[in-house]
Amino acid sequence: MVKQTFLHDEHVKLGAKMVDFAGWHMPVQYTSIIDEHKIVRESVGLFDVSHMGEVIYKGKDVITFLNKMVPQSIDKLTDGKAVYCQLPNKEGGLIDDLIIYRLNAEKFLIVHNASRVDEDINWMSLNIGDLDVEIVNESHNYSMIAVQGPKACDYIKNLGISDLPPFFSIKEDLLFGIDLWVSRTGYTGEDGVELIMKNKDAVKIWRNLLSHSEDFIVKPIGLGARDTLRLEACLHLYGNDLDENTTPVEAGLAWSIPKNKTEAYNGKEVIENQLKNGIKKKLVGLKMVDRGIARHGYGVFYNGEQIGVVSSGSVSPTRGDNIALAYIKNLDNLTVGSTIQILIRDKYCNAEIIKKPFVQKRNKDSK
Amino acid sequence: MNENSLCTKTHEYVLELGNGKYETGITDYAIGQLGDIVFIELPEVGSEFVKNEVFATVESVKAASEIYMPVSGKITEINEEVVNSPELLNDDGYENKWLIKFDSDADQLEFADLMDYSDYKEELE
Repeated sequence: MVKQTFLHDEHVKLGAKMVDFAGWHMPVQYTSIIDEHKIVRESVGLFDVSHMGEVIYKGKDVITFLNKMVPQSIDKLTDGKAVYCQLPNKEGGLIDDLIIYRLNAEKFLIVHNASRVDEDINWMSLNIGDLDVEIVNESHNYSMIAVQGPKACDYIKNLGISDLPPFFSIKEDLLFGIDLWVSRTGYTGEDGVELIMKNKDAVKIWRNLLSHSEDFIVKPIGLGARDTLRLEACLHLYGNDLDENTTPVEAGLAWSIPKNKTEAYNGKEVIENQLKNGIKKKLVGLKMVDRGIARHGYGVFYNGEQIGVVSSGSVSPTRGDNIALAYIKNLDNLTVGSTIQILIRDKYCNAEIIKKPFVQKRNKDSK
Repeated sequence: MNENSLCTKTHEYVLELGNGKYETGITDYAIGQLGDIVFIELPEVGSEFVKNEVFATVESVKAASEIYMPVSGKITEINEEVVNSPELLNDDGYENKWLIKFDSDADQLEFADLMDYSDYKEELE
């Protein structure tokens, strides 16, 4: 049975085209993926991301526990701060990527990918051992709405939350008289917030967010545009760009891994070895030179030899060209500016390695 | 869409233009399902395809779809306009949504599994 979020009927009423995604019946688009994409780059977009998993980790040893699960330094977080993390297996391959929020010293919120939450919780449980940690899956009690775009924060402030949390922080607040969590995070490369609320409040908040937009252009955005937005910003999609055979170093996530973490964590040996001695494959950004769109799974070639595979590819509505992420052999001569080929159906189409991200993120200096 | 079109189960249409000439494209339903069309690849004029062979690719933002020849024939013309501006297929005001024109002397048997446009629409409901 396909799962539905508490906003399902709202999407249907808005005329959304619904698809099955990670076991959930979700809106892929309301009007047009390209139009919705542009709304988020120019104004404010609303996303139902209630399929994401919200899990509470609590107990006296929760910091020690999370510190041994991820390469990031969980002990460095202060109350209300969040960090982007990966969940490696013992070989450094990724079970998932996560956002970990410290609510207080003995209580953390982790947002998991919808498709991975069950595996993640199983893996986490297996690693608790004698530690005092309790895992409470709250996914079915909470809904989540992302509000994203260059005007998103102004819009939320206008609605009464004058004091937004800084980038990668979370706080409790009231919106339309309803108690909720406001997190300064997102998956579009734009500034904005993600709102986490009790299921019973989701419809009221969604409708209010759509109807209070007098001075702002605010539109619902489907998963189709969510994918093109995150691809332009080079934010990884689990299952496409990350999997259990790929380490965070290979995925270009070394920036997120502290170099001086003394505590052991799963996969540390492999990850530290790669940080020191290099990697065999690397994730590169591509733009198509010839006509054609690179898609997940297409082969990447150089001098007639296959050197890799496309992990994500689509059109870039912001740039107006066709872009892709691909894992290729880590050869020194393949760098920004190099031309390689993508096998599209039966044709070898030229593509150029370009700098990531494809579109500059605008959330880094959020205040 | 022209009411005289015949449609395939895979959402192509074929319209007889007379003297063994035909045009083919994808149905209005298919366009609606695909959403924003961003890439169209068409065959060369002069190439020949048999019924059910892939002759073109139409890509939406999300995915690539193969387009099948509704009846056997030889390509006489391709719609360069939609190749250069694929989004025209999504434009309700744009009329020329055909992809290829072709000559065919296909046996009537090849038409047997094609549906009248009205039956096609009924089947979708």
